[in-house]
Amino acid sequence: MINLAIKDIKHSLVKFVVTAMGVGMLFGIVLIMIGVYRGMQVEAEVLLNDLKADLWIVQEDTLGPFAESSRVHRDLKDILFAINGIDKSEAITFQNIQLPKKDKKIRVVAVGYDIYGAINPINPERLMQGREIKSDHYEIVVDDKTGFGLNDEIKLGRNIYKVVGITHKAVSNSGDSLVFMSLKDAQELQFLYSNKEIQNNEARGIKNSESDMVNAIIATVKKGYDIDKIAKDIKKWQHKSVYTDGEQREILTKNLVEKSQKQIGLFTAILIMVSTIIIALIIYTMTLEKMKSIAIMKLIGLSNIVIIKMVVEETLLLGVFAFLFGNIFSHLIYDIFPKFVVLLIGDAWMLFGVVLISSVLSSFIGINKVLKADPASAIGG
Amino acid sequence: MQGQVAIKAQNLVKYFGKDENLVKVIDGASFEIYKGEVVALIAPSGAGKTTLLMMIGCVLDPTSGKMWLGEDMVYDNRWLTRDTRKIRRQKIGFIFQAHYLIPFLNILENVTLLPLASGIDEKIANQKAMELLSYLDIADKAKSMSSQLSGGQNQRVAIARALANNPQIILADEPTAALDAKRSISVIEMLKKIAKEQNVAIITVTHDERILPYCDRIMKIQNRGTVFVSTDLAVL
Repeated sequence: MINLAIKDIKHSLVKFVVTAMGVGMLFGIVLIMIGVYRGMQVEAEVLLNDLKADLWIVQEDTLGPFAESSRVHRDLKDILFAINGIDKSEAITFQNIQLPKKDKKIRVVAVGYDIYGAINPINPERLMQGREIKSDHYEIVVDDKTGFGLNDEIKLGRNIYKVVGITHKAVSNSGDSLVFMSLKDAQELQFLYSNKEIQNNEARGIKNSESDMVNAIIATVKKGYDIDKIAKDIKKWQHKSVYTDGEQREILTKNLVEKSQKQIGLFTAILIMVSTIIIALIIYTMTLEKMKSIAIMKLIGLSNIVIIKMVVEETLLLGVFAFLFGNIFSHLIYDIFPKFVVLLIGDAWMLFGVVLISSVLSSFIGINKVLKADPASAIGG
Repeated sequence: MQGQVAIKAQNLVKYFGKDENLVKVIDGASFEIYKGEVVALIAPSGAGKTTLLMMIGCVLDPTSGKMWLGEDMVYDNRWLTRDTRKIRRQKIGFIFQAHYLIPFLNILENVTLLPLASGIDEKIANQKAMELLSYLDIADKAKSMSSQLSGGQNQRVAIARALANNPQIILADEPTAALDAKRSISVIEMLKKIAKEQNVAIITVTHDERILPYCDRIMKIQNRGTVFVSTDLAVL
């Protein structure tokens, strides 16, 4: 049997290809949006993966520095060793800062860590140029997305920092680049007031005692020890909130990324609905253009199944080609997005399934038109 | 000349509307059309030519009456089969005012479409289509698209399509309306040849008086929907 769908498509190939490309761009954007969400999930876990901490000890009744403000005393890292099973323990700070670059400012998350400590947040695999921080003061490691180069100087607060290392894809859960500095510098940036403010505070009788605070203590647990039990012990004796690595990931991915997930999910659903409606309208128009031919086919005796098959196949082919164009389009443009975009094969297959379903649904409007076509309209001009 | 009966109508009626709006379009048409003859269906505009053609073509439901296609009774105050499309597929070929070929199929595909959809083997369908196209002197255009052919050539392809399923009846709705006088005569002569050689009954609706002498009989729809069939042009 002649494949009517293929014949019709070949007959108006340019129109079909341009239409498929247009719809494909929409599918491409859908893939990018899913990719942005996947990217957020990956970004949310970059620091957790690089730190490899078993426990996060933060201010009591807070969710920790990724979700809300948290302050704990730096010396807690030493006190923790009193608890049986603690292997390594380090203080760490996180803060949003703006790096001045010419006439603009670049928002980053600064991670302060003890450069002589046992836990290093800089993943050597991400360090593309330069070195880690070796001096207690005025050295900074930045991500390549900030645009700074080695030996560049950056003024932060009262001091000037020298870029000693460049990382690649070191990002925070918010998607901002991570920069690394010594714990002392980070504490100074976060907690040290200006001289005038210190004088003002002292005049008011306020002691500036916050300079030895950090945002969290991270710890690893010796092999064979129960992480949950140690977490319970710290909560009980140190009056802190303690999260295991799994809980911290849940806070990051579920609590923080969840809203974005819903938002992106909603946009994706709307885009798929719009694509479905567009495909339906295109198929409706294509069917309208063929109404005389369809009436003739019905009049000369072709069954509805043959004609409906043509409409459904055309819709599916439009969907499949649009999906292919969408894939090509998304792979061509994903790198220009400021957010990290991760395109997964699994997501593409999932979208392919959705495209097939939405194509079949879209064809219903054309099928309805076919069923209503009156063969008598072919007679009498 | 009376061959086998291809179409027999008995008191065929078609009314439109109801009560005071009732319009009697065909009022008790009884006639027999034989295989091998060409019958011209004539009437003033709006008199019911297309209505009668659509009823014979099993496209429009008559209000009442009886109708046979060949030996099979197909209508007895109701269609005797649910699938009237199957009757059309098996017994009737259609030719229209314009050729109405499927624009996205080539000439050969237009002719083989119905046989293939009826389950005929592709090789046999192609062979039959090529024979028909040769018979109509257009085989060299088999791979062309209809947009590449002239009006007359396209109408010959439409005739080939109408013959592709070996119908007993061909219903032609003003097949020469879009053609000049020379081509009109050529088409009607061709139809007459087909009727004789293929043993097919052809009813052709026409306004073109020039082609009437080429027809075997004339069927005229009179005032008030009565149908009159004669071999004598003068009585019309």
